[in-house]
Amino acid sequence: MYTLLIVQLAVSGALMGMVYALIAYGFQLTFATSKSINFGQGELVMLSAFFSLTLIDSGLPYWLVVPGGMLFGAVLGLFVERAAVRLSLEQKGEGWILLTIILGLLGFSAAENIWGRDDRPFPTPISSDPLHFFGIDVTPLELSVAIGVLAVMGLVELFKRKTLLGKAFEAVSADRDAAQLMGISATRTIQLSYGLSGLVAALAGILVAPITTVGPTMASVLILKAFSVAVVAGLDSGFGIVLVGLFLGALESLTSFYLGSGWREAPGLVLLILALAVRPNGVFGKASIRKV
Amino acid sequence: MKKTILAALTMGLFTFQAYAADTVKIALTGPFTGGSAPMGVSMRDGAKLAIDEINRAGGIQVGANKMKIEVVERDDEGKNERGALIAQELSSMGDLSGVIGTVNTGVVLAGDKYFQEKGITKIITPAAGSASMTQWSKAGVKDLSIFRFSADDGIQSAMVVEDAINRKLTKVAILHDSTNYGVSGRDDLLDQIKKQGNKLQVVATEKFNIGDKDMTAQLLKAKFGGAQGILIWGIGPELAAVSNGMAKLRMKQPLIGGWTLSMSNYIDNAGKNGNGTLMPQTFIEDPITPKVKSFIDSYHKTYGVSRIPSPMSAAQGYDAVYVFAAAVKQAQSTDTHKIKDALEDLRDPVKGVIATWKQPYSKWDPANEQTHEAFRRAQVVMGMVQDGRVVFANKADRQRLIKEAGK
Repeated sequence: MYTLLIVQLAVSGALMGMVYALIAYGFQLTFATSKSINFGQGELVMLSAFFSLTLIDSGLPYWLVVPGGMLFGAVLGLFVERAAVRLSLEQKGEGWILLTIILGLLGFSAAENIWGRDDRPFPTPISSDPLHFFGIDVTPLELSVAIGVLAVMGLVELFKRKTLLGKAFEAVSADRDAAQLMGISATRTIQLSYGLSGLVAALAGILVAPITTVGPTMASVLILKAFSVAVVAGLDSGFGIVLVGLFLGALESLTSFYLGSGWREAPGLVLLILALAVRPNGVFGKASIRKV
Repeated sequence: MKKTILAALTMGLFTFQAYAADTVKIALTGPFTGGSAPMGVSMRDGAKLAIDEINRAGGIQVGANKMKIEVVERDDEGKNERGALIAQELSSMGDLSGVIGTVNTGVVLAGDKYFQEKGITKIITPAAGSASMTQWSKAGVKDLSIFRFSADDGIQSAMVVEDAINRKLTKVAILHDSTNYGVSGRDDLLDQIKKQGNKLQVVATEKFNIGDKDMTAQLLKAKFGGAQGILIWGIGPELAAVSNGMAKLRMKQPLIGGWTLSMSNYIDNAGKNGNGTLMPQTFIEDPITPKVKSFIDSYHKTYGVSRIPSPMSAAQGYDAVYVFAAAVKQAQSTDTHKIKDALEDLRDPVKGVIATWKQPYSKWDPANEQTHEAFRRAQVVMGMVQDGRVVFANKADRQRLIKEAGK
């Protein structure tokens, strides 16, 4: 009975952790190619979820809404790259930090004005009736999150390893200057990484929306956790991000049970501090060599 | 000589004002956009139904002529700073007879001091926590122009505990959010359990944050503690997360809590998992009497809806206008100070859709906030969520209200 309780807690937490991992993966994609991240990633998640909700309201079936929402996310990602990142990277500046934050705030206000400030339910054909596995209750909705996260991450990793474009992606991640000398356009590749990052953010939004409901602030908690995951795992490894995401989610759930629900946020923060103090490049990160 | 001219001039001014003021000017304020909008909008729309009815009948009888009600609307967006600005603007109007409205406790705390300073009569409805009245008793104010027209948190927590005891529960878990509202709700509940004879054993007291969606840990604590029911204090979206979490863990225990469980963002987000949830209500959208039926029908027809977003807010807005109008009639004046005096000693009963209000208020006593509180236990019933609507939880309440209305 007691082990079952622990497993139930860990499984429920880990499934939420998958969402943190997927959003963190969006950070990792752009950081790999351009050493920049979109600080408005949470707003991307939220805007894509709202857009998908509008598609559902207009009567589109769910299996069309998912690609539609993801396409919207990818377009937003491309827009962020063009508007906030490209010029600043060309000038080797750090302007993208402020610019992505500003774009995020703009997205937030836009959402408030277009869709209102209410939290709204996100209808989905996936059932939320519990399934019983070996004494543990899991809803198909939670499983769909896990499957969706693993599927999209697997596909993106496969793309990076098996296609020519993907190899270019890896080359730019490894060494931007060298890749450019080999005739690979770093700009195009960074653009691609932002598009993918937006796509991943949109999927995260669509998957999590039936659980969290859709509202302008839906991603504000998620994004902080995702950030912890990204930093703790290190921004080099997609695999590490999934592991840390699962671990953090399970840990949160167990902490709030054993230490009390007021301590729920603590493990993420402790992990973050520990990681920064002991392994600043992340548990799965590579030590960076900076040439002076 | 000078004095007589002055006197004549002031007299002239007064007569001029008397001619100019052929309307009763009332301000309706509240969050008409944003997260609390279902309450604010329903309150405003309910109040406007009452105002339309009064105006169509010619207005309020003041002296020899009938005066129509003129409405000033202000949207505070549920933001404290907007609330303060609006209160300053309204209190400087000069010809305002009174204010009806406000949902958010913070807005009340930021704005009501301006009304009190000028002595402008305000009826707080449909919500705002207990702090909106206790602030005045704590300050020891001798003369208060602020009245409240909603069930206070004390009545609500008493009813929640009472209902749990009536359901023969002995072990309960208390869940609450980490805001002021949730924490004071928890304290009220614990207090009431003690007051009502310690019949409930609290096996778990758990909190959650605004924005939390995974309640597994809190619920498992309740489940493994052997809780037979869950008492809860929070707002819409998180309450829905609790209901959805309970369904996942196959917890069939009753969920009983504050009236926020009737908010549309709880009912819509919890869907079928919300069925059976219990909460205190001042009004149920159920045409139990001809008067209630005509109110519900005209709300649906006027605003083109099949469900009132927040039925109790609408009914409270409607009744508050009638109570206010009765005070104007008794005061025979549009002067806000005289209206205040009349409210404190309302002689004729006012027929509303929630109840017939007999002397809802009395002279303000800083030692007893109940003097400016209209709702008593009898005007509040238990509601239950059923298929997206709130219905009577106890048939007896329904019968009692029908009988009382018949008197």
